Amino acid sequence: MTDTRLGGGAGAAPDAQVAGRPGPAGVGPVPRVPIGTRMSVFTRLFAIQASWNYELLMGTGIGFCVEPVLRLLPGGAHGAAYRDALARESRYFNAHPYLAAVAVGALARAELDGVPGDRIERFRTALCGPLGSVGDRLVWAGWLPVCSLLALAAFGLGAGAAVVLAIFLGAYNAGHLGLRAWGVDAGWRSGLRVAPALSGRLFRVGPGYLARTGAYLSGVALPIALGRVIGPGAERGPIVGVVAATVVGGALLVRMHGRAEGWRIAIVVLAAFVFYATVARHG
Amino acid sequence: MPIELYRIDDRLIHGQVVVGWGQPLDLRFIVLVDDDVAASEWEQELYRLGVPPGIEVHFDTVDTAALSLAGYGKDSRRGILLTKDIETMDRLAARAPTIREINLGGLHYRAGRVQKLRYVFLAADEEQVLRTLAGRGITITAQDVPAARPVPLDDLLGGRSH
Repeated sequence: MTDTRLGGGAGAAPDAQVAGRPGPAGVGPVPRVPIGTRMSVFTRLFAIQASWNYELLMGTGIGFCVEPVLRLLPGGAHGAAYRDALARESRYFNAHPYLAAVAVGALARAELDGVPGDRIERFRTALCGPLGSVGDRLVWAGWLPVCSLLALAAFGLGAGAAVVLAIFLGAYNAGHLGLRAWGVDAGWRSGLRVAPALSGRLFRVGPGYLARTGAYLSGVALPIALGRVIGPGAERGPIVGVVAATVVGGALLVRMHGRAEGWRIAIVVLAAFVFYATVARHG
Repeated sequence: MPIELYRIDDRLIHGQVVVGWGQPLDLRFIVLVDDDVAASEWEQELYRLGVPPGIEVHFDTVDTAALSLAGYGKDSRRGILLTKDIETMDRLAARAPTIREINLGGLHYRAGRVQKLRYVFLAADEEQVLRTLAGRGITITAQDVPAARPVPLDDLLGGRSH
């Protein structure tokens, strides 16, 4: 009979102090762990994809990130509990790299709570999908284009290279650092009951707001950036070419929807630039 | 309208399913067939998080799916059926002769499995089950996303399409 209860662990590991902040309803108090352990987990999140491969994808990265917490299990870093948990957490896993922080926090909590291994494995499998699709919509299709267009708008308005770079890097990094910090904390507080945290307003309506903001910024940034590149009183040839290429490219993308992949599009655009720079312009 | 795709994918609902296949096929419902998940509300809650608005999810056991397939086939919307392993799809196909094509979308590494494609790793007993399914006249191809080339089972097991 499948056990459908959440939690169900044997209680927090003895090396961790229980009775920290209260957790969400139905979840026990958040165990206190040393600040050094928490910092270690957070900093390791930046290397979560360092060992990415086709066999385990991000799996070893997850194991690497939760490892400092696993040292608090009974027997410490040389105990059987530590070895079992580390092996379990290093198996196949895939998710958005920033939202994987939620998985790291939740899985570390589950291991420390003594949740049975088979339930943790099912939890890991079930987390891959939502953390991947929510992260893709929020970051790759939302935050990244918005930050890029914001920097492009700054360029169009006359900002120098340093300012444009600062705007892009500042905005983008603020977003992903905040998301990672929130993610690991939300996972840690919620454990296996992390679903409500992921169905919050940011994740439900955030991608839509970001998509609309990106569309608005596209309308603002592209013309003024192009205007700055071409300059006043320039020939009409380049701008007519750009407009025509945009129309044709847009029509092709709509027609090839679902078949065109990012790297193929990038290669075609790059080839077009090379052709223009080396043949059309000097031929 | 019959179910558009019968897919084996150990990640079940994820981006390749809801976006990669969901958009070009205009999928409106997903049938997730798994005995454990069908009995587990917290897992269902997690899987629902990965589904965008406008797509419905049904959680079935092999038994309930076999009984419900005819009903899903009468739905005017397009749907996809997912299992996380070959064994579950094999049990379903044995009870649902309407399944004539199976898509291998993602079976990842675990001990005992050998790499066939970058997204398909198979154990010897799993290869045997696939051969048995093919012997029953079911067409089996590996294809993670619609833009990828479908790899027939013979090529997959013969190792000619890495």
